[in-house]
Amino acid sequence: MRRYLRSAITPQLLLLLAAAIALAVVVSGNRFFAFVLGITMISILWAAGMNLLTGYTGLVSLAFAGIAGISAYGTVGLVMRCGWSFWLAMPVAVLGAAVVGVLLGLPSLRLKGFYFALSSLVIQTVLSLGFVYFIGLTNGDTGISQIPPPDIPLTGVSFHGIGFDLLLTFAAWLSLAATWAIAHSPFGRRLVAIREDEVLAEAIGIDVIRNKMLVFFVGSLYAGVGGALYATYVGFASPRSFDLLSSLSIWLMVAFGGRGTFMGPVVGALILAPVPFMLQQYDTLKDVIYGALIIAVIVLMPGGVYGTLLAYVRRLPSLKRYLSKQRGGVPNDGSVRRS
Amino acid sequence: MTDLFVARDLCKRFGGLQALRNVDVVQRAGETLGMIGPNGSGKTSFVNAVTGELALDSGTIDFAGRDITGVRPHKVARAGLARTFQAVRIFARLSVRDNLQTAMLVLDDAANSLEAEERVELLHWLKLDHRLDAVAGSLTLFEQRRLELAMRLMMRPQLIMLDEPVGGLAPGEIRAMMQILNELKARCSIFVIEHTMRVIRELADRVVVLITGEKIADGPPVDILKDQRVIEQYLGTAHA
Ligand SMILES: Nc1ncnc2c1ncn2[C@@H]1O[C@H](COP(=O)(O)OP(=O)(O)O)[C@@H](O)[C@H]1O
Ligand SMILES: [Mg+2]
Repeated sequence: MRRYLRSAITPQLLLLLAAAIALAVVVSGNRFFAFVLGITMISILWAAGMNLLTGYTGLVSLAFAGIAGISAYGTVGLVMRCGWSFWLAMPVAVLGAAVVGVLLGLPSLRLKGFYFALSSLVIQTVLSLGFVYFIGLTNGDTGISQIPPPDIPLTGVSFHGIGFDLLLTFAAWLSLAATWAIAHSPFGRRLVAIREDEVLAEAIGIDVIRNKMLVFFVGSLYAGVGGALYATYVGFASPRSFDLLSSLSIWLMVAFGGRGTFMGPVVGALILAPVPFMLQQYDTLKDVIYGALIIAVIVLMPGGVYGTLLAYVRRLPSLKRYLSKQRGGVPNDGSVRRS
Repeated sequence: MTDLFVARDLCKRFGGLQALRNVDVVQRAGETLGMIGPNGSGKTSFVNAVTGELALDSGTIDFAGRDITGVRPHKVARAGLARTFQAVRIFARLSVRDNLQTAMLVLDDAANSLEAEERVELLHWLKLDHRLDAVAGSLTLFEQRRLELAMRLMMRPQLIMLDEPVGGLAPGEIRAMMQILNELKARCSIFVIEHTMRVIRELADRVVVLITGEKIADGPPVDILKDQRVIEQYLGTAHA
């Protein structure tokens, strides 16, 4: 695994980190823009995890936000009630959420495409109901407010302002580096094989069930880390933060940017995460725009913005050699894919 | 000669249809075994049952001295029993190279992984070395069948089960494929399904005849051709 982790530290990724840090510093003067950027960073992290499930493995998990919620409530509970440090509470809650993610995924191990998405939708609905129902843990619909930000261990102070923004920036970057490493590892290859043809994957010795359980676990880790950061960044957690619409909007970032491409979900998150803030006054309009985008992406650009761009660029012979070395993505010929 | 593969008393029913009826098949090491029978006689079901794709109603399967009854497909493949599909199955949207590298994952952790020279030789033999960057789905059917074969050989199988390997090929391609399969015998044992006698006669040392899920004959191709029941029930139609 070391080899793949080292391969994750590429010039492109370092450039990405530098750009993100620069952006965080530039907008830090304006709290509103800084906040939008912070949420965008969490969205990138979530989109990276969703991309592993949806893009690489071909499993549309609409329970993603629900898993994030389990981790968020878990972290908040351990910090606010038990007085744990965020840095102890978060890993415990994330691991718990990942185990729940695997357990909830077990019944849908044999499902594919639409049926998998449908079963994950049911799971999300149940989780959403759970968040409302277990008032003792979640404070129900009212939500939990005044959630403290993560502490900086041994200093007695907490992350705030640009410090927190940079923490989110780094977390987002780390998630991308991890996705890069996975995409270039044998595990990533197995996931792509499962996405392309499960029967063939088994015939060449790939344990489909085991690898799906693994990707449920890893994907849930992304969801969980994002959930814990989200709740502490916003300072508020309610069932609405982790509902079906949240899952859908994370999926949309991935699909809009380009499923199964490394940069696609980043592009998708950068474009779509700020949208709700721009349209704060027009709440209904926001939903209409989201709906229209979902349909537009599915019909017009099955490869997503970045994926479609990549397909054009790939036709240029000079870039072909360079790009052919990048794997994992779906070779996009513009045709509508089965999913 | 030792038995490489032993299927005993296999039974499989799909609703009211008995796809396999107490089928016994033994393949000895080094022997090329053929299976013929008209469409719908249960040949593919037999391979599916052996490779763990299909759950049997009853019967046992031994491979290389191990009981593999009910073992899941990926484990059967890892045990050294590879299979191809009647309708060719490749990762159509991935490149030929990615297809091959995915197939190599199986041996990645094992010490007996294919050496670089062996890989080059294999791809040269199957005339795939100039197609590595092509999208697999854009290959001709014959090339796809060769890719399928190369992917299996990347796994170093002891036995490979081929489900109608010349199906859909043009006459010239069939001859080329027959040559490939004859050369394949030096690399691993072969179990081959065909529904025409011509191919089997040239390839197989021994033939099993399946009709409506039942084994009706088992022997060298020359004897099978003389078997009255086979002639009556099958060969008359197949030659038409
Ligand atoms: N999964 C299945 N479900 C129901 N019936 C099946 C299934 N697979 C095969 N059959 C039936 O079993 C019989 C044998 O099929 P098959 O093994 O494909 O024959 P062959 O390969 O000799 O042409 C056929 O009548 C076929 O329709
Ligand atoms: Mg068949």
